[in-house]
Amino acid sequence: MDPINPWLDPIEVRRLAESLIRRAPTSTPQVLDAGFNDAFEGFSADSSRPTATAPPIKLEPAYQSQPSPRYEPKPTTTRGPFLERICYFRDWMHQQFQATEVFMLDREGAVIFDESGHGKLHFLARSLAHASRRPGAPAGNVHVKIGAESTLEVIPVETPYGCLVVGAVVSHSLSPVAVKAIMDAVQKVTSPSNPS
Amino acid sequence: MLHGHVHLAHTPFLQRVISLAVSSQKGGVGKTTVSINLAHAFARAGAKTLLIDADPQGSVGLSLTRQSRLLSGFYDYLADPSIPMERLIVPTRLETFSLVACGQASDYEAGGNGMGTHLARVRSFLRAAASNQFDICIIDTAAGLFGITGDVIVSSNSVIIPQQSEPLGIRSVPKLLDGLSRLRLMNPSLNVLGVLLTMVQNNLAESLEAANALRQLLPAEMVFQTMIPRDGLFVRASARGLPIGAMEDGAGAQVVFDSLRAEIEAKIQPASGLHAAYG
Repeated sequence: MDPINPWLDPIEVRRLAESLIRRAPTSTPQVLDAGFNDAFEGFSADSSRPTATAPPIKLEPAYQSQPSPRYEPKPTTTRGPFLERICYFRDWMHQQFQATEVFMLDREGAVIFDESGHGKLHFLARSLAHASRRPGAPAGNVHVKIGAESTLEVIPVETPYGCLVVGAVVSHSLSPVAVKAIMDAVQKVTSPSNPS
Repeated sequence: MLHGHVHLAHTPFLQRVISLAVSSQKGGVGKTTVSINLAHAFARAGAKTLLIDADPQGSVGLSLTRQSRLLSGFYDYLADPSIPMERLIVPTRLETFSLVACGQASDYEAGGNGMGTHLARVRSFLRAAASNQFDICIIDTAAGLFGITGDVIVSSNSVIIPQQSEPLGIRSVPKLLDGLSRLRLMNPSLNVLGVLLTMVQNNLAESLEAANALRQLLPAEMVFQTMIPRDGLFVRASARGLPIGAMEDGAGAQVVFDSLRAEIEAKIQPASGLHAAYG
């Protein structure tokens, strides 16, 4: 009797191993200090923070701010470079949810878009997304209060690029309807072809 | 025997200290033996090497120094980061080889705290070690990929995974890979150098079959070519408080660790031109 193979799934083992030997892309922004130290008291608004890593793009706002419980993600109708689409998405987040510090992590946890400049927020989002994973269940959103008027909303979204994690700072945790709208928007923004 | 010099932090490609965690899911796979002798191999080759005992069992200290129970160490720093690093570093007879014992803070148990509890202090410790001009820090961790061991791996540049060459050990590989994948989420730049087969018994068919099975199971670059044999010499070296290469009859075994060191150098900086001139 084979003493090894009946005890494990060789295909799954190889998939895991290959994902581990792939080096993280060096072109993504490096999080120099993602850990918390004793001085970390949570996030608070501060105009001296680093500016967004993505260049500002002058585009028409995708949405007008309105107090409607439904969110129709405009980014689906605008195709273009990936970063440009993400910037549309960011603008939409600003307008619809008054979100700030929007960022996005890839399935390896690396930063692919960031306007926060806060490694600690990325670290926290990674940890929350990781902790919320349940085997066999779809990814769900989590949030944590990080200041008197600030909540970090973390939304893992399954996309053609794997599970991306969207993070944003909002004043209060988002409703399930809002989270669903954001997930839909991310899926459409990251879709390789225009579905519309 | 002459030995050349490796140039790690001094190369223009590598301006920072290498921190290399030696970790495994399972206990008793030879982590401490690998850590001690690999550190000694780097030090003999000229790299300024710090061996850190992050296993609360204190096996490194118990192997190499009679005073290990009196020394302040890694866990004392986690309890009180104001302790100067210089007070923790213990020199050895080999100028390039120093160690930090696990220390006296006995209230730490592997896994007793949730992962992340000491992350900032582990990183602070490694930064302090780097500021002492070490080229490479080799960290012997407790078994498991959680608690402080998880914090150490998440804080390190690289990890090497000793794996006993026995069927039971190989069967635990999926859990090991899953654990590493979770840690890589926290540290996307973690360089998983590979699995190192240990305690290989060339006269035992099951041991060799397990080694072959692992090589078939994993991508070639994920398994070190070098294998560590099961050898009574390790027990005798430990009894005398010496790395195996410092034993009178240890030259043959030292070649194994020199080979492992060369493989690690190639994996750490494959495109850098980093090389060692072997004598």
